[in-house]
Amino acid sequence: MNHIAGSLEQYSTLIWHWPIAVYLFLAGLSAGAAMTSLMVKWIEGNNKAPWDGLIKAGALLAPLTICLGLFLLIFDLTRPLHFWKLLIHYNFSSVMTLGVLGLFIYTPLSFIYAAIKFKPWLFETGPFAGLLKPFKGIIDSIGDNPAWLERTLFLFAVIIGIYTGFLLSAMYSYPLFNTPLLPILFLASGLSSGVAASILFGLLFFKSEVNQKNAKYLLELDLRVVPMELLLLFALFVGMYFQGGDKTLVAIQALTTGVWAYVFWVGVIGIGIATPLLIAVTALKHHAYRVGYILLNSVVVLVGVVFLRLYILYAGQTFIG
Amino acid sequence: MGKAYRLLYDENACIGCQACSVACRVEHGVPEDFFRLQVRMELKGVFPRLGMSYERMACVMCEDAPCVSVCPTFASFQDKDGLVHIDERVCITCKYCILACPYHARFVNPLKNVVEKCDFCYESRVSKALLPVCVSICPTEALMFGDMNERDSLVYETSHKEALIFPKAHLKTKPKVAFLPKRKGMKS
Ligand code: SF4
Ligand code: SF4
Ligand code: SF4
Repeated sequence: MNHIAGSLEQYSTLIWHWPIAVYLFLAGLSAGAAMTSLMVKWIEGNNKAPWDGLIKAGALLAPLTICLGLFLLIFDLTRPLHFWKLLIHYNFSSVMTLGVLGLFIYTPLSFIYAAIKFKPWLFETGPFAGLLKPFKGIIDSIGDNPAWLERTLFLFAVIIGIYTGFLLSAMYSYPLFNTPLLPILFLASGLSSGVAASILFGLLFFKSEVNQKNAKYLLELDLRVVPMELLLLFALFVGMYFQGGDKTLVAIQALTTGVWAYVFWVGVIGIGIATPLLIAVTALKHHAYRVGYILLNSVVVLVGVVFLRLYILYAGQTFIG
Repeated sequence: MGKAYRLLYDENACIGCQACSVACRVEHGVPEDFFRLQVRMELKGVFPRLGMSYERMACVMCEDAPCVSVCPTFASFQDKDGLVHIDERVCITCKYCILACPYHARFVNPLKNVVEKCDFCYESRVSKALLPVCVSICPTEALMFGDMNERDSLVYETSHKEALIFPKAHLKTKPKVAFLPKRKGMKS
């Protein structure tokens, strides 16, 4: 084939790069952490201060990771200074616009929720106590158990977790993106990363405040979500395989060719799914409470989810049939 | 009544000279190694039934345009005649549209840091009742452009005489660009 038509570079380069994958990871983690914190808080007896270390860890992670992710997203734009235009124009048929609107609600709620959990530090003992005094009244008036706020936060956490999947699955010229299972897969892996990050963070920073019972509850939850991810991945690829044409081709290529196939088998499946399951049936058998292994478990789950986002984003743009 | 623009590309007449592609870059100052338009050529078939197959790579002006529906800011929009344009002032260069376009018609212009594509030469020519520059320069008249609402236009007549192929028609994007496929010989 000749190149009289000119360079083909423009037609083969990747459009979205790793910062987008990291954003997808962080947004999913944030949503998962919010859900984790709420689920622990909703357990009988956990609904009053002093809050469990895991509730605090999740509550803190949710706003921090979403902000980090958004910063990354904005600075990845070719013209970051034009970002504000996204905030004044709304195209309701665009998943990106819907995501922005969801974040408008989710992000402030996650901050308020965190503020309730860190009230003494924010308004009394912490370094910003003086500065934040004026807001104390507002947070106090919301109370410790605002059912409406918690339910809305949970709902929007689910929405944020799912939207990161729809953002990609809306693109129908990329077979690996364009599958109906992707949003569910992202929600599930977001939840498992949120659980893992909350355990990790909670045991590292709020160790004395973590109740073993709650940690075990989360480990069990994670042990249900991780096999679920495996099932979703399996269904996603088998489903593509049976769709015929380009989709079959892409499903095979994405699992067998080049560096991205390695990332999938080693990173996503090996580290992210097989290792936690292995730890669960060996070191943490019969719900043993061994902190070292619990931390290791959290780390491999997190690494696996990062690999999953990278894999979907890059393999999705690489293999197009 | 609005215009129903159509651009026809006749694979039988095209000789792959790239005059359209060059004219397009000059007209719109497209930076080196970037393209609003390429004409790809490939030898196809089984000897002795060989033939050149040509493909025009450029925006096909979808009526149901995925680039417009994914754009969060309406920077990609459709005008009254259904042509898809990019408002450079509103584009945040998120590149969502580049991914969404099934025809790989879009790119980021590195000089302006804004998304760009074929605009049917609307601003510079078509709005002034001139033909798009690629159409007017083609030495073999492989390109035709006009309004389907005008019964005596070349595109109207040709469209009703020939079997047209709309690129990736199964995606239901309803392109305004159509091909006249090779009539002769080779199997692809
Ligand atoms: S070809 Fe691509 S850029 Fe042109 S209108 Fe269709 S989707 Fe948009
Ligand atoms: S890059 Fe510009 S034109 Fe394309 S979707 Fe983003 S804002 Fe819209
Ligand atoms: S119509 Fe104009 S912008 Fe489009 S390919 Fe032809 S010359 Fe380029």
